Amino acid sequence: MNLNPAPMLNASQRLVTAEQVSVGYDSRPILSDASFTLERGVFAGLLGSNGSGKSTLIKSLVGILPLCSGRFTFETVDRHELVFGYVPQRESLDPVYPLSSLEVALMGVCGRVKPGRMLGGSQRTWARECLAQSGAADLESRPFSQLSGGQKQRVLIARALAAKPDLLVLDEPTAGVDPVATNAIVELLTRLHQEQGLTILMVNHDLGVVRRTVKQVLWIHNGILTQGSVEEMLSQARLEAILELRLQ
Amino acid sequence: MNTLLEILNPSFVLRNSVLVTLLVGLFCPWIGVFLVLRRLVFLGVALPQISSAGIAFAFSLPLLGVMGHSHDGHFEGDERLLALLGGLGFTLVALLFLALMERRGRGLLEGRIGTFYALAGASSFLLLAKNPMGERGLLDLLRGEIIAVSDIDVMVTTGVFAIVGVMLGLFWKEFLFVSFDRDMAMSLKKNVMLWDCLMFLLIGLTISVSVLSVGPMVTFGFLLIPPLIGHQFGRNMRQFACIASAVGGASALVGFCIAYRLDLPVGPTDVALMGCVYGISTLAQKVLHAVRKSRTLLR
Repeated sequence: MNLNPAPMLNASQRLVTAEQVSVGYDSRPILSDASFTLERGVFAGLLGSNGSGKSTLIKSLVGILPLCSGRFTFETVDRHELVFGYVPQRESLDPVYPLSSLEVALMGVCGRVKPGRMLGGSQRTWARECLAQSGAADLESRPFSQLSGGQKQRVLIARALAAKPDLLVLDEPTAGVDPVATNAIVELLTRLHQEQGLTILMVNHDLGVVRRTVKQVLWIHNGILTQGSVEEMLSQARLEAILELRLQ
Repeated sequence: MNTLLEILNPSFVLRNSVLVTLLVGLFCPWIGVFLVLRRLVFLGVALPQISSAGIAFAFSLPLLGVMGHSHDGHFEGDERLLALLGGLGFTLVALLFLALMERRGRGLLEGRIGTFYALAGASSFLLLAKNPMGERGLLDLLRGEIIAVSDIDVMVTTGVFAIVGVMLGLFWKEFLFVSFDRDMAMSLKKNVMLWDCLMFLLIGLTISVSVLSVGPMVTFGFLLIPPLIGHQFGRNMRQFACIASAVGGASALVGFCIAYRLDLPVGPTDVALMGCVYGISTLAQKVLHAVRKSRTLLR
């Protein structure tokens, strides 16, 4: 396999640099010695088969799981601590919580409000703006647990935006969502990327979605992470090699 | 109505019992909301039993010569503080042990909680088997007799619930955030472990004080049933918590009235009343759901 090392970028262009990171659970690596860079303002897709370590890698990136080895370096413009807008798989959220969509979106603001401080009017206004940006303004007072898959995903994206993130990280945002809602989510992410210059890393299984949205691809295959442009990584020759089949 | 006015009269002879029951009715559901949401209902049953074992341990201390005998099987002054510490200590040690085992991911959590529950019940009686006075006090607690409540009991219960209430009010958004989406909270640099520890400390405090005042059965009744009722009707977290607390407080008062009027033990009356309310509210919810569904179909 033709391995692509991390592209050489100026320090000012890089937002995230992963150097030989190994990620896993209980110090048992699932993915070892992975290196990659994320440019500021890029829309990147993370691909790989089930169990290849995609979700584990992004959980380690955003600080949910400790690294087994290696390190991440984050370079923000004004050297503030990098803020993640993390959108988990929606099935991981328990529907037993009677939360309105606005209450869910407000959680994104919690990172900036000190413990013990009440959420004020400005934070509520901002959460509402984020819901509007995500096309979920009309869902504000609806119970989150009763929303459809696509609607939930919009609210979760609004919550991530409410954190005012430097990097939006989404874990399979279109999994289990019907084609119409998938298109709406893809359009939303593309718009956020284009209009706000938001850096986005999205885990996705759907090659069609990845092909028409992202510019960079990180692909985990046989325990090795490779990186390249979407044209290069999703070329017919590359896909045939990775998927071990002949494409017509 | 007359009975309600009578028990609310400041000169009512069982005024302290009414106050303590009302406080437990208002505050236990508030903590219980998190036990229900975090799917730790079984823990809400086991912890009061474990707290009782801690109190039984304190009751048994006279046999070990650590402190003097109580006269009537009830604690007063320093003895009461020791009983509170016994209940709280056992509760927190159990929580710590369960949390550590869960982190290691070994065995079934429900199995461990069930084992704790059985062991706590058995050890409570074993600890007091040779102490008739202590055993009588424990049996009163288990039966939910809420009669011998001193002014100090009221003060301690009020003080502890005031602390719990202030902490819950101040840190509500943090507790809710780390309970609902632990991963997102961690990605925003929230110290999830710290908030979990603080929440379980508040749960332990609430349960220990409640068990010492009204016994384990009444405590877990108030911890679980009002939140389950609130969950049926609350459309957001504020409504959920307010309904749970209101149902708990109202049940405590109405239950006391019924028990006083019919000469029944207060604790079991409260729990039976909440059970009835839960049954009626479940039925009402199903009827409402069916009506809404039929209206939608007609349109």
